[in-house]
Amino acid sequence: MSELFAYPDDREEASAAQVKALEALLIEKGVITGSTVDKVLGYFESEMTPLNGKKIVARAWVDPEFARLLATDTPKAIAQLDLPEGMAGAEGEHIAAVVNEPGVHNLVICSLCSCFPWPVLGLPPYWYKDPVFRARAAREPRVVLAELGVELDDDTEVRVWDSSGHSRWFVVPARPSGTEGWSEEQLAELVTTESMIGVALPGPAA
Amino acid sequence: MKLQHGLGGLEGLEGFPLDYEKRVFVEDWEKRIFGIHAAMMGLSASLRDSVPGYDLDAVPTTFNTTWTWAHLRSGAEAMHPFEYFKFRYYEKWLGGISAYLVEQGYLTQEELDAATERFREQPQAQLPDRDAEAVDEQVLDYLRRGDTPRRGPATPAFAVGDEVVVRNPPATEHTRLPGYLRGHRGRVERVFEGNYSYFVSTGGDGLGQPMSVYIVRFEPDELWGEETERAAGPLYAELYETYLSAGSTRDGNR
Repeated sequence: MSELFAYPDDREEASAAQVKALEALLIEKGVITGSTVDKVLGYFESEMTPLNGKKIVARAWVDPEFARLLATDTPKAIAQLDLPEGMAGAEGEHIAAVVNEPGVHNLVICSLCSCFPWPVLGLPPYWYKDPVFRARAAREPRVVLAELGVELDDDTEVRVWDSSGHSRWFVVPARPSGTEGWSEEQLAELVTTESMIGVALPGPAA
Repeated sequence: MKLQHGLGGLEGLEGFPLDYEKRVFVEDWEKRIFGIHAAMMGLSASLRDSVPGYDLDAVPTTFNTTWTWAHLRSGAEAMHPFEYFKFRYYEKWLGGISAYLVEQGYLTQEELDAATERFREQPQAQLPDRDAEAVDEQVLDYLRRGDTPRRGPATPAFAVGDEVVVRNPPATEHTRLPGYLRGHRGRVERVFEGNYSYFVSTGGDGLGQPMSVYIVRFEPDELWGEETERAAGPLYAELYETYLSAGSTRDGNR
């Protein structure tokens, strides 16, 4: 973390002790069990990860029919794939894809908090919740994107999506050139969390 | 409007470096508070009225109140605006959840302080054990099946193509209206089918009962005026009906 987040030396120890105290008391008082928190974390570490989004995007790149369905009825398209149970679960109840195409680049933000499509992308990375990102991405997305390495020409329209209702959006980036004939598995490896939020482009073909 | 409600578009941060920290958690303890939050969501009394119809009576937990995103967000958004920026994201979660659990009587401040002191002195001390598989099953079931806010059919007040003006409701502890949209004109891009509830009533802010939800398209000049960036594109926001009023005539008034 940057210097902006430099805190007193014992700040993290204090928070760590407090959260451990909370968990211990919640277990003692019969709210949760000794394994509840570990099971929640395990669910997000093993099942609800960006791997799901990578598979969805890769399928859209190789299957135009799937891509069309993904754009018009995202949950229905996602349900066609062999992904872990829970794609319409917590923070995935109303999921929607916004699709990059020639001349259109989408960027998803949540200027109020951190709305994020957990089942597709896992939990949001820190930068997404950074107040500076949330402030600047709304008004100067082109500048922010350029700082993060996404240089778009003026002819490309940048569309910003501010999440504040029930939908959780993710971006379907454009397929990199030079990947003709690649398998879905190979293509999925080019897709990153950042590219599915809109602040990066999928990795270049090797 | 509170500062934290109007972060989007906040001026004066141009050139301010972005912290492009890609990790989800920067400290191990942050995982634990996330897990506690998710567990409380999965045990919340509000799930009794949810569409999936969870059988909370069969779950051996002493948690018997409502904990939703709205509660977590209120904890952060209700803060003094200057305080808000002193704390990192999951620090705000830790503070809000601790305060809720004390307020609701699940634990006392004295108990929390004493236990915190104990773990300060012995960071490696073990957590207590308690086995109740049905609790964990409910939490995971909630994560897998969720809690859709979709309720019944709707009679939307606006249609695709309508011009709307964003209302300026009184600031309350918690809102889903991004502050920079207040008073601005946009055009309805999409009307969602059905109506959608919100977890709690936000009072004068207007959320709570099921209502229509829209995607509204805003032109960049309308939002940012002279500060509009070069070759700017549109901004889309998903807004609850309570935040919109009719803006059919261009009379220059906002």
